[in-house]
Amino acid sequence: MRPLPLPDPGTPPLSSAARLLTWQAWRQRDVLTKAIVAGSVSLMASAASPLLLGGAVDSGLAAGFGSELLVWCGWMLVAAVTIVVSGVFSHTYDVENWLRASFSFTTLVGQKATRSGHAVTKKLPTGEVVAAVANDALRAGDMFAMTGRFVGGVLAYVAAAGYLLWQDLTLGLVVALGIPVVGGVLALLVRPLQRRQQTHRESVGRLTALGSDTVAGLRILRGIGGEDVFSGRYARQSQEVRRRGVRVAGVQSVLDGLQVLLPGLLGALVLWLGARAVVRGDLTAGELVTFYGYTAFLAWPVQMATQMLQMTTNALVSARKILGVLRVTEATPQADAPAAAPPSGSDLVDHASGLTLRPGRVAALVCPDPDVAAVVATRLGRFDDEAESGTPVTLGGVPLAALDKEALRHRVVVSEATGHLFSGILGEELDARGRATEAELTAAILAADAQDVLDSLPGGLAGELPEKGRSLSGGQRQRVALARALLTDPEILVLVEPTSAVDAHTEARIAERVAAARRGRTTLVVTASPLVLDHVDDVVLLSPEGSVVTTGTHADLLARGDDAGTRYRAVVGRSLADGHDTLEGATR
Amino acid sequence: MSAATATAPGTTAKQLPIADRHEVKRTVGRLFRSHRAQLAGIAVLHSVAAVAGLAGPFLMGRFIDEVTAGTTLARVNQIALILVGAVVVQAVVTRFAQRLSMVFGEQVFAELREEFMHTATRLPLSVVEKAGTGDLVARTTNDVNKLQHAVRFGVPRVLVCVVTIGLTLVASFLTDPLVALALLVGVPPIVVAVRWYLRRATPGYLRESAAYATVNGTITEAVEGARTTDALWLGSRLRRRLRGDLSEAFAAESYTLGLRLRLIPALDTAVAVAPVAAIVWGAWLVSQDVTTVGAVATIAFYAHQMGGPVFDLVFWLDELQVAAVALARVVGVGLVGPDRTASGEVPASDEVRAHEVRYAYREGHDVLHGVSVDLRPGERLAVVGPSGAGKSTLGRMLAGIHPPTGGTVTVGGVPLVDLPLEELRGQVALVTQEHHVFVGTLAENLQLADTGASEEALWEALEAVDARGWAAALPSGLATEVGSGGHPLSPAQAQQVALARLVLLDPHTLVLDEATSLLDPRAARHLERSLNAVLTGRTVVAIAHRLHTAHDADRVAVVDGGRITEIGPHDELVAAGGEYARLWRSWQAG
Repeated sequence: MRPLPLPDPGTPPLSSAARLLTWQAWRQRDVLTKAIVAGSVSLMASAASPLLLGGAVDSGLAAGFGSELLVWCGWMLVAAVTIVVSGVFSHTYDVENWLRASFSFTTLVGQKATRSGHAVTKKLPTGEVVAAVANDALRAGDMFAMTGRFVGGVLAYVAAAGYLLWQDLTLGLVVALGIPVVGGVLALLVRPLQRRQQTHRESVGRLTALGSDTVAGLRILRGIGGEDVFSGRYARQSQEVRRRGVRVAGVQSVLDGLQVLLPGLLGALVLWLGARAVVRGDLTAGELVTFYGYTAFLAWPVQMATQMLQMTTNALVSARKILGVLRVTEATPQADAPAAAPPSGSDLVDHASGLTLRPGRVAALVCPDPDVAAVVATRLGRFDDEAESGTPVTLGGVPLAALDKEALRHRVVVSEATGHLFSGILGEELDARGRATEAELTAAILAADAQDVLDSLPGGLAGELPEKGRSLSGGQRQRVALARALLTDPEILVLVEPTSAVDAHTEARIAERVAAARRGRTTLVVTASPLVLDHVDDVVLLSPEGSVVTTGTHADLLARGDDAGTRYRAVVGRSLADGHDTLEGATR
Repeated sequence: MSAATATAPGTTAKQLPIADRHEVKRTVGRLFRSHRAQLAGIAVLHSVAAVAGLAGPFLMGRFIDEVTAGTTLARVNQIALILVGAVVVQAVVTRFAQRLSMVFGEQVFAELREEFMHTATRLPLSVVEKAGTGDLVARTTNDVNKLQHAVRFGVPRVLVCVVTIGLTLVASFLTDPLVALALLVGVPPIVVAVRWYLRRATPGYLRESAAYATVNGTITEAVEGARTTDALWLGSRLRRRLRGDLSEAFAAESYTLGLRLRLIPALDTAVAVAPVAAIVWGAWLVSQDVTTVGAVATIAFYAHQMGGPVFDLVFWLDELQVAAVALARVVGVGLVGPDRTASGEVPASDEVRAHEVRYAYREGHDVLHGVSVDLRPGERLAVVGPSGAGKSTLGRMLAGIHPPTGGTVTVGGVPLVDLPLEELRGQVALVTQEHHVFVGTLAENLQLADTGASEEALWEALEAVDARGWAAALPSGLATEVGSGGHPLSPAQAQQVALARLVLLDPHTLVLDEATSLLDPRAARHLERSLNAVLTGRTVVAIAHRLHTAHDADRVAVVDGGRITEIGPHDELVAAGGEYARLWRSWQAG
């Protein structure tokens, strides 16, 4: 088997679910062909069994224990070996087909999720994207896994039915037509069954959601109360699930009964007609055995056909869900013909606010409304072309949207206040560019004052960081994200409120070290903390509406007697003002 | 709204226990014993159906023998009628047997999950705080769902397979014991292959499901962190990781495929060879006149019929093994012992005192070294200090979450951990970074503390935390469905709901531990007023970020290295010229 996943899943058509599935089928046509060949050989060999059994019975009756019987038995052994060997190949190719298809869909969804920026979160709930991988990719794969056996089953059915018709027209017709009729009748029940299964599954989904929701909030329940209410609510939904399960059992058991009754009656009919033919001398006992054997065997391909139909239906539904993800358009697509990159040391200018990041300066952005400052700083990173179309930002005079995206992301990095931490080895997660030396890692951790994180993770830098940094406190998470941003070492670094969740001791250290680490490199920090402002080269003051009021040093602005100085002191002095006689600062 | 959970800095999340084989067996035994009658009924019905199902081949064999001896059409009709009768009996009994077994599965599974949830929601507070909720969520969803298939279908199916195989063998031997001996050639390959397979299958399939869980985890992270991925250009790294995850899934799949590629040929061989053996051996016996062709044909068909149940049985044994692992995790939750026993003492006052408190997460590694502090009713105590100094641990002690390793924390003279949980909640509450909105109405989300709270009381609580405005603007007010899948609340609104719960709970003492450090700075700022309202009139211990918090508090405690190094009003500490004064000056100079 070829090792999977394949390096390139290709570019799928997005026009329809059926197109998507046929596109994938064509991509794995070689494996599908092998599966069909192996499946056909396997089922044809199985189809030979009743024939050989009948032959053996006849020869045993006619000639007793002799060479003729042994020849028949020899053929039976040949069929057995064929079944065993082709079965191995058939199963292998079926699995390979399944893996090829479901891995391909998974990779496509993964590519979309990692390329589209926040567009994917804006368009679809996270659960739906995850379900496209956790469920839909696998369900679509089922259809590909079934194909080989389905085609083999159809061939075996045609061959067996042909033989029966040739042997005895009446009996042949009864068997060849009776089986699909039985299959059809049973299929009628499948729909109500599926409906009930669907409502059952939905209620199970609600129950699972209720359960995980309850235990996810268990700290609150145990801390504040309400456990009885919640376990009672779970028990009620659990009973609802049970009731729906019993309703499923009602239809399902009728189906099970019919699955015994209808083929059984058909078998009885064949046995009756056949036995009469034997008594009349039109049929041998062995041929009767063969006919009886086929009533059992032929039910199998019919079952597979029903299954194939179901799987195809499910695959189409799943393909539509996958398409829903694949059709998301990226928030910041790559320009068709990227403009030439401006030389390093170019000014980054936000035209709406009048903010210019001067090369080589460490600056701070201060605003009476910190949210406004965060918005201005964030758009310097180009995150959403649609939303930012009215507020152009240029680097060396070139609009950001016209630049090569990868080059831009390496030159300008905007690190938001609550960046997402990914699970993985801490050292690797910190080093987003994958090129930092041990010394650089240590320096960045020191600058972000995150040494305590190394102590709290077993294994330190080689330790496993859990998803979202769950085992870390809010302050620790923020400092890890800060160290990660520093390590990207971009030409221009924008840090949005990088110390909002850390204590004053720590903030003082970070302020000094980060400013030192970025000295001489273009940097912008959104903050209102005097501890930070004291260490930057320039301070830019924004009006509450988001336009630049003035620029100066922290000391200069604190001392200035003009209106801008008053405004500045009002912002940064707020934390020192005495009007706040509460502990509200604990939340800042 | 997702729960943001964090364990205290310096502690590693502790896993909940997993039951051992013995404990799992006991649980299964107990479940089966309490449903003995039902199980017996199911077994009897399935046996009847299986016996009726054996009629076809038997009657065919009889007919072959009779036709060689010469028979009549009337006899043919008679045989056919018997067969029709057997089919009808088998079908009808199967219908009831299947229904009964599925209803049984539903009932047992419902009992199992309800019992699990009952146990889970009563886990000791200290365990929940320490282990976090991730493990428990996984047990509630993945493990319970893994059990569902096994309990609802697996147990009944195994029963049917065993009954069918057993009765078919019995029938073969009744038809002709000598011929039936040939069937035994199928037994050794089946036994050897199945034993070999089952020993390896469980770890193989567990590895497989772990691999897919990792794939799903990577996708989840990619979507949740889509903005960060974009900002830091982490896309290619995540795609590489997804490729790695899929390679592992492929390796796991290849391993289990390898297992099946040994099992399936062995079973196929047994199933295909047994009828041939029966015919060759039977034909020889016919030639010796010790049996009839009909008997041989019957047994050959029986051999053929057993193939289905054998495959089915192996498949389900496999599933049951995997389910046993899930069951061990579900049952394990019940093995956690209580962390407190109520002494029945009643607090004489609202005064909280810590005396010589020590605490060690690991034996011999004290995080707190004999901390003493008396909270004065109504005061605001700010706790400051470097990360890892033991501030959060002290907070948990003061809130009565963990029993201290040494020393005592009392309220009105009674140790906090000697109070029943319901009583403790009315005294002291811990407010952490976590915020969680439960699936349900806004009213249900508020009524946790006081299930009987009137609508008026709920509105008052919302008013107090400045949340009345947006709550009144919700589509159905208090009856609006919120939480996952309901009306979305912002993180700040979620935290306001949490604070409104505290207003309803009304404890006299609150411990705030970085209550908003998980919110983005913008949401945190919006919460200031709400938090202020909750604090009014209570004793407050605030583990602080910001120095002006300390400045505004009645007293400041500086914690360093597991000890209170300085304590007193802000002005006194500044005047004393210690570590706190140094920090304060650097702040002011800025």
